[in-house]
Amino acid sequence: MRRTSVLFVAVILIASLVLGACAKATEAPAPTEAPVKTEAPTEAPVVTEAPTEAPTEVDPWADVVPAKEIVWWHQHTGSKREAAIAKIVEDFNKTNPYGITVKAEYAGDYGDIFNKMLPILNTPDVPDVVVGYQNQVATYQLANAMFDMNELINHPKYGLTKEEQEDFFPGFFAQDVLSLFNNQRLGLAPNRSMEVMYYNMDWLKELGYDAPPTTPEQFKEMACKAAKTPFSGATEGEASPIGYELSIDTSRFASWTFAFGGDMFDYTANQFTLNSDAAVQAWTFIQSLFAEGCARLVTENYGDQTDFGNGTLLFSVGSSSGLPYYGDAVAADGTPFEWSVAAIPHTTPDPVQNVYGASVSIPKSTPERELAAWLFVKYYTSADVNAEWAKASGYFPVKQSVAAKFQDVFDANPAYKTAFDLLKFGKFEPPVPGYDFVRDNVIEPVMTNIVDDPTADVKALLDQANIDANAILAEQMAQVK
Amino acid sequence: MAENSITHQSHRKTLKLIKLQEQLTGYLFILPALIIILIFGIFPIGYSIYMSLFNWQVTKGPFIGDKNYLLIFGSWWNLLVLVAGIGLLILGSLVWGKAFQSMKSGQRLAHIAGALVLILGGVIFVTGWGMMYESGNKDFLNSLIVTVYYALGTVPAEIIIGLVLAYILYQDIIGKEAFRMIYFLPYITPSISSAVVFQIIFSSRETSLANRILALFGADPLKWRFEPRPVLKLLGINVSGLAGGPSLALLTIIIFGIWSFVGYNTVIFLSGLGNIPKEIYEAAEIDGGSKWDRFWHITIPMISPVTFYLTLIGFIGTFKAFNHIYVMRTPSAQNSVVTTSLLVFDRFYKANQYGVATAQAIVLFVIILGLTLAQNKIMGERVFYG
Repeated sequence: MRRTSVLFVAVILIASLVLGACAKATEAPAPTEAPVKTEAPTEAPVVTEAPTEAPTEVDPWADVVPAKEIVWWHQHTGSKREAAIAKIVEDFNKTNPYGITVKAEYAGDYGDIFNKMLPILNTPDVPDVVVGYQNQVATYQLANAMFDMNELINHPKYGLTKEEQEDFFPGFFAQDVLSLFNNQRLGLAPNRSMEVMYYNMDWLKELGYDAPPTTPEQFKEMACKAAKTPFSGATEGEASPIGYELSIDTSRFASWTFAFGGDMFDYTANQFTLNSDAAVQAWTFIQSLFAEGCARLVTENYGDQTDFGNGTLLFSVGSSSGLPYYGDAVAADGTPFEWSVAAIPHTTPDPVQNVYGASVSIPKSTPERELAAWLFVKYYTSADVNAEWAKASGYFPVKQSVAAKFQDVFDANPAYKTAFDLLKFGKFEPPVPGYDFVRDNVIEPVMTNIVDDPTADVKALLDQANIDANAILAEQMAQVK
Repeated sequence: MAENSITHQSHRKTLKLIKLQEQLTGYLFILPALIIILIFGIFPIGYSIYMSLFNWQVTKGPFIGDKNYLLIFGSWWNLLVLVAGIGLLILGSLVWGKAFQSMKSGQRLAHIAGALVLILGGVIFVTGWGMMYESGNKDFLNSLIVTVYYALGTVPAEIIIGLVLAYILYQDIIGKEAFRMIYFLPYITPSISSAVVFQIIFSSRETSLANRILALFGADPLKWRFEPRPVLKLLGINVSGLAGGPSLALLTIIIFGIWSFVGYNTVIFLSGLGNIPKEIYEAAEIDGGSKWDRFWHITIPMISPVTFYLTLIGFIGTFKAFNHIYVMRTPSAQNSVVTTSLLVFDRFYKANQYGVATAQAIVLFVIILGLTLAQNKIMGERVFYG
């Protein structure tokens, strides 16, 4: 019986080995298919022009009476943010002349809200205002389920004035205009974050520099020097010093590509451009940092913050929302050093900064509910309320005029002021359906392959990634009826 | 006489009525459970099959029949070849063990015929797989391989370690109650929180616990959860494809899986050991059986129903495993840790392709069902129920 089993296993093993030989090892792929073209609209996303004259057509909103009660689904937690939300809603409910009552409901995190929304799109059960990232809202719009704010943004009675529109940071304002959907405006930004470079100034001084790098060449020189020259203030002796730690995250891909003058998406052709010359240059640069021992991967969640705080990491690139956490990490063991943030080293004349954040959107319902929802969104994103919200939430405000109200914040936190001054250079990641899938299944594996293998062909990898990303986009857009 | 017949008929009628009442009572008792199972168990499966037949993305699209399944297999012909290969493997094993028994040199003949059929089955299976890999969904097929690695890496180890621990704890050792509790703790610890702890232990940081232990042996630090390369490759053995084995990242998750479930197996084995009559051991001892003999010839056969149960549950569990793999996976590990459950989840929640995702889930369901039946057949025949 035992011999029988052994022979049986042997036969299966032979089959497995043959099977193994058939299965191909994962290798740097060569492009295999031509990108599938998505139907392209004719224009790039533009900031909506505010009208100067009253519309000549019949006003569809003239007889619409805003609904008396609307629901807002948001994801904000924490006592400070919750209190701020409650106050904003309370003030709106008390002061709006239409008698609208907003009911703010915590509906889980972004993912929870997204999953709750999908089954109720185009039904009366949708909330009137919902928080969502642009790509999530784009997914809702595959079912034609979102209200195009262009219908109201320029309305003479209910809309935003030209000054109010121009007060938004341009990048923030343009981010919710979706080229894939004929430049419909599917959201309005109440707050944003931005990718910045964190640097250890004391270490830079020890290395002989008096300012953070502004170009990739300077960045590389400093990072490589740091990898060989430990910081005197380092507190975790066993960890080796390093110039830069990269986390495998598509936002880093975007940040470096933007800094080299590229973009991830062509808003005219409505196609991903992951293999642009700028992207190839940027990722060849990052690959060289790894190959020369000047950079390494982040080892655990927020490990770059820890290493930065320990004084073993000179540069880190991450969200500005991490400012307080970097501050805590530096101060954690009682031996703080001088640190700050700066623009990501760039090859462009001006910095180009990756900005992101969820917007508030309005699902399609009835004109009464949509109008009431719009009036709340308008209030929520108005300059005074925006200043109040930004202070409470720690996010960046979206209105330029808010700077005048932020002097106290700038005085208390110079790094925040530095980052704030970079907001005008904001550029955003593609607001397209299926972007999460592209991030996780296409871009991040490619980033890993590039940095793991110093001989990897960056251009070939990005070419294939671009084909894959556009194929996913085409699959998504095929749903549009 | 007539009176007797009438009484007899009446008695039979009463008996029938009682039987019917008993039947009805039985059905009424199982009705609540049946309703719950139908609503929460059978209906979702049926609805998933329904969804898989449509181009169902954010909204329900047109009926597309088998197209979502063809995305997985490439063509039905590919699947047919693969299934034919599996069928021949089963047939070969049956021929090997059961054919030509009445003939004089039947066993030898059976082995020769069986081996031929097995080899033919293997070749056809491999051909079918290759065809499917060529024209079907590579991500899905890779995820099946990862799932098989995960199952084969965890279940046997959990069974063996669980049995050894149970056997030790079954002896008269001091503080065995405390040890039982300690071993069971990982099983009742929420997998998300323990997975987070494992993230830290198996961080690729030079100073992580796992790397410090390696350093004690003079080894270089490893990337653990971040390492997509197969373990064999890291050891310098350059084998590709299925024979390449799991990645180091998957091995880390396998270690977590073993750690989590070994305590459960230990406790179940302990209860199985408690049911073995002491007299059998005493008789074996009197007959001069050593400790090893007693373990091998008494304990192992007598707890085979428990082993069978744990293996069955283990394999089903590993094919469905999700939470801790989801928490422990890293982008750097790429698809080397993407099991089929994770792949279906990504397709569902990130790509919002519900039709494709449900088709993949149904295929996974059929595979689990097939494996369960196969295990039941193969192992069930070897179980000793006393």
